[in-house]
Amino acid sequence: MDGFRVVRRQTPHRWVGLIVLPAALLIALAFCSLLLMIQDKSPVEAAVVLFQGGFGSLYALQDTMLKAIPIFLCSLGVSIAFRMKVWNIGAEGQFALGGVGATWAVLTFPGLPMPLMLALMLACAAVTGGLWGMLPGLLKLKFGLNEIISTLMLNYIGIEFMRYLVYGPWKDPGSMGFPMTAMFPEEAVFPEVIGYVHAGLIVCVIAAVAVSVFLQRTRLGFELCAAGENPRAARYARIPYGFLLVFVLTVSGALAGMAGCVEVSATFNRLQPSLCTGYGYTAIVVAWLSRLRTPSIALFSIFLAGLLVGTDNLQVDLQVPAAFGGILEGFILLCVLAGQFFYSYTFVRTGRKQGGAA
Amino acid sequence: MTWDIFVALLAATVLAGTPLLYATMGELITERSGVLNLGVEGMMIMGAFFAFIVQFKTGNPWLATLAAGLGAACIGLLHGVVCLVFQGNQTVSGLALTIFGVGLSDYLGAPFIGEKTVGFQPFDIPLLSDIPVLGEVLFQHDPLVYLSYLLPWAVMWFFRRTSLGLALCASGESPDAVQAAGLDPVKMRWLGIFAGAFFVGVGGAYLSLCATHMWTQNLTAGKGWIAVALVIFAFWRPRRAMFGAYLFGGIMAFQLRLQALGTTIPSSLMMMLPYALTILALLFSSARGKGRSAPAALGDNIAPGA
Amino acid sequence: MRFLNCAAAVLAVCGMALSPLASSAHAEEAAKNIKVGFIYVSPVGDEGWSWTHDQGRKMMEEMPGVETTMMESVPEGPDAERAIKNMCSKGYNVIVATSFGYMDAMAKMAKRNPKVTFLHCSGYKHSENMTCYFGRMYQARYLTGMVAGAMTKKNEIGYVASFPIPEVVRGINAFTLGVRAVNPDAKVRVVWTRTWYSPDDEKKAAEGLLDVGVDAIAQHQDSAGPQTAAEARGAYSVGYNTDMSAAAPKAHLVAAVWDWNKFYKKFIDEYRAGTWKNGNYWYGIKDGIVDISAYGAMVPEDVRAKVDAVKADIISGKYQVFTGPVKDQEGKVRVAEGQVAPDDMLLSMDWFVEGVIGTTK
Repeated sequence: MDGFRVVRRQTPHRWVGLIVLPAALLIALAFCSLLLMIQDKSPVEAAVVLFQGGFGSLYALQDTMLKAIPIFLCSLGVSIAFRMKVWNIGAEGQFALGGVGATWAVLTFPGLPMPLMLALMLACAAVTGGLWGMLPGLLKLKFGLNEIISTLMLNYIGIEFMRYLVYGPWKDPGSMGFPMTAMFPEEAVFPEVIGYVHAGLIVCVIAAVAVSVFLQRTRLGFELCAAGENPRAARYARIPYGFLLVFVLTVSGALAGMAGCVEVSATFNRLQPSLCTGYGYTAIVVAWLSRLRTPSIALFSIFLAGLLVGTDNLQVDLQVPAAFGGILEGFILLCVLAGQFFYSYTFVRTGRKQGGAA
Repeated sequence: MTWDIFVALLAATVLAGTPLLYATMGELITERSGVLNLGVEGMMIMGAFFAFIVQFKTGNPWLATLAAGLGAACIGLLHGVVCLVFQGNQTVSGLALTIFGVGLSDYLGAPFIGEKTVGFQPFDIPLLSDIPVLGEVLFQHDPLVYLSYLLPWAVMWFFRRTSLGLALCASGESPDAVQAAGLDPVKMRWLGIFAGAFFVGVGGAYLSLCATHMWTQNLTAGKGWIAVALVIFAFWRPRRAMFGAYLFGGIMAFQLRLQALGTTIPSSLMMMLPYALTILALLFSSARGKGRSAPAALGDNIAPGA
Repeated sequence: MRFLNCAAAVLAVCGMALSPLASSAHAEEAAKNIKVGFIYVSPVGDEGWSWTHDQGRKMMEEMPGVETTMMESVPEGPDAERAIKNMCSKGYNVIVATSFGYMDAMAKMAKRNPKVTFLHCSGYKHSENMTCYFGRMYQARYLTGMVAGAMTKKNEIGYVASFPIPEVVRGINAFTLGVRAVNPDAKVRVVWTRTWYSPDDEKKAAEGLLDVGVDAIAQHQDSAGPQTAAEARGAYSVGYNTDMSAAAPKAHLVAAVWDWNKFYKKFIDEYRAGTWKNGNYWYGIKDGIVDISAYGAMVPEDVRAKVDAVKADIISGKYQVFTGPVKDQEGKVRVAEGQVAPDDMLLSMDWFVEGVIGTTK
């Protein structure tokens, strides 16, 4: 009887992703079809409805883009931290704080002309989001506090802080006592650029270019990747690990903060408690699915946003619960994670003599 | 605050801390075997769901508890497949497990939202429940609460006195050494994931069978994540984990009573309290607890064919 | 040429994609067949707020020529906007959304889809094709407060409340006025849970109140968690949304309940007849949208008679709940003697009346 043995590849395989990724997606879809069949719903019909809802029309595509923009920015942020193996789970809270920063700019400096106002909002959001990201970095550096926990706890605290502001000091007197700020003036709303996709798209492009240039063309960017690959070697090479740690978390938070700014400005036009709907967590899924590569992050942001948008359609047409999107998202990630095994390992046939050696 | 309110607060603390205690102890076992499983929230809510369904269909709460443990363990085994077999990243896999578990429980549970069930009923332990103060605080609860008292000691005994427990902890510290001793560290990690997820599931069962006697979505409401934090707070020590679970439960119970007594602190700030105090407690303990750190191989996969 | 052909094809496809929203053909054709889409913020299976509306949807479904669908657990904001857009594009000619946070999205979509009728519950924006509607739940709250005030022995009643927004604050105030109308010494203690629906948290909040010494529990929450807590401790309880006596048979005094079916039936009838006028509607006990449930067996005859008399006065308009003098927590007179609080004041209420222990922050 022949056996198989697991062998580490000498160099990571380049095109294995072309097989692994679709295979993982297929397995995930098969599992979800099974779930649909339990509830007597046709998986084929569901797949059609899902695709139509997410990508099947110009409107669907625009909606998908709208959802992809904040996911992309958050994901770009966490991917920088992940490169250094710093686990920033806190994009959700940094996103909320970004919304707070942008709103502060609008409330404090009303009447600025649009370009100045938008730039100021983005800057403020980047600062508040960045500070919220920097905090866990400092806590890890000074006290050795695990960043998974601190970023997670800061999510809860950040969102409650945002709520505190809209329920209290920032509540619009004209809103009949409801928890929300006043509508932003026109100058503080990102204009629509393609269809009703807003200028947040431009922010995404600029951020993506800036991050790519930083990682590939600057010394700090290079050191950052090196520190992630091998922290011990990095220390010998005198790479400032502590500085980098705080730096990546700050940048990560700043990007999530900008996502928050774009979201309050362009889609809410005001700050209200329902700002946070889990983009920060989806961003982590996206970052990992795309193996931290910027172009792939863009693709997967759109892909996952489309899935989430498409599940709306599932609900309206087939009365499939909204939770279906989460199952799909989680299971795809699990399958892809397992599939990534084949990037660095391969199975080798072994003869009878060596059988069972593994 | 009068004495009566204080005693009632302590009793409420035990109740609020119990699901956290089970979940924390579960994650602690998993992490001691060297596997970081951030899917606690997902496994816990699936546990709550399985418990509810089995209770709903059979009417037997003990069977329901068992189903919760086994069901959550099955979900947890997905983590094992991804991380132990396919060498996936443990942090991300756990996160995916949470997203998956929360979604799945919502989806499968949708037809049952709002359905009620009997579950466990509190009963006073004879004699012990008559002790002043202590009786009211500790011995007038549900059976799952009573079992949870024994859990930290049972886990300690398992870690220290059984060869299996020793091997499990060793897999978290140095898988190579375990291998050298002729044992399979991967098997130990499977055990860690399975046993850990089992207790996490029982924590979920407590929520649907004892705390609410019903099913609804988002029943765990972030308790799984708190458990992950408490494991670190506890320095991976079972008795400290018990303390942490009650501390956190106590803060939540205290917050509500402070409001009831008429505090003027805004409710948003009250909601931040448990999370802010968790960070503070972690800071305080990590400043004092240098040297009692995580299992050395926590989060590292064991490469196959090595 | 080839390029032009391609471009034309692309344009045609785009045009097809755009058409569902723009076309009015749908609306005309659908005049015979009314398609109603409901959007809820929480799952409907909860016997709470969304459930009470979904009863209305199910009733519509039974009516001839009416077709319905619904989306539950839709987050407020862009997701709601998309949900509305999705329904509009599928030819739904009536969209109902039942959470305050949907208001902006609805107003925006109402402007873009002038042929579609929008019904928004609990907000304040309305237009040519958008109605805002709500119920004067505070009237029922006042009556339930009278019952609780008459039944409490410790003169302290607990109130488990969700979020400090005017709707909830108004309810607490009306309840407290009711309590103190029959029992001037009684106090109402408020605990905020910061959730609409979380059975565990709500139950724990009620237990906290009971520990502090209240002997009756009222709630502005969607689960029966507070009711079961009261039942277990031998206290009284006042339900909300629906008759919650099944959850706490020994504790349940009475409940303040919604009956949206009357509204939805009226709407469909008038819509079909072409007489429906969009606007701002705030229905009271008189219209049957809000009411109190049957009394629990423990409520004595004289209390029932007293409450029923006030209910009759509210229906006839002889009595109004926020009639002065109404003082706030600091003792400042907010509504002068003999005056009645105007609707604007009720709609934006962010202060507690005298007798409430807690904060609106």
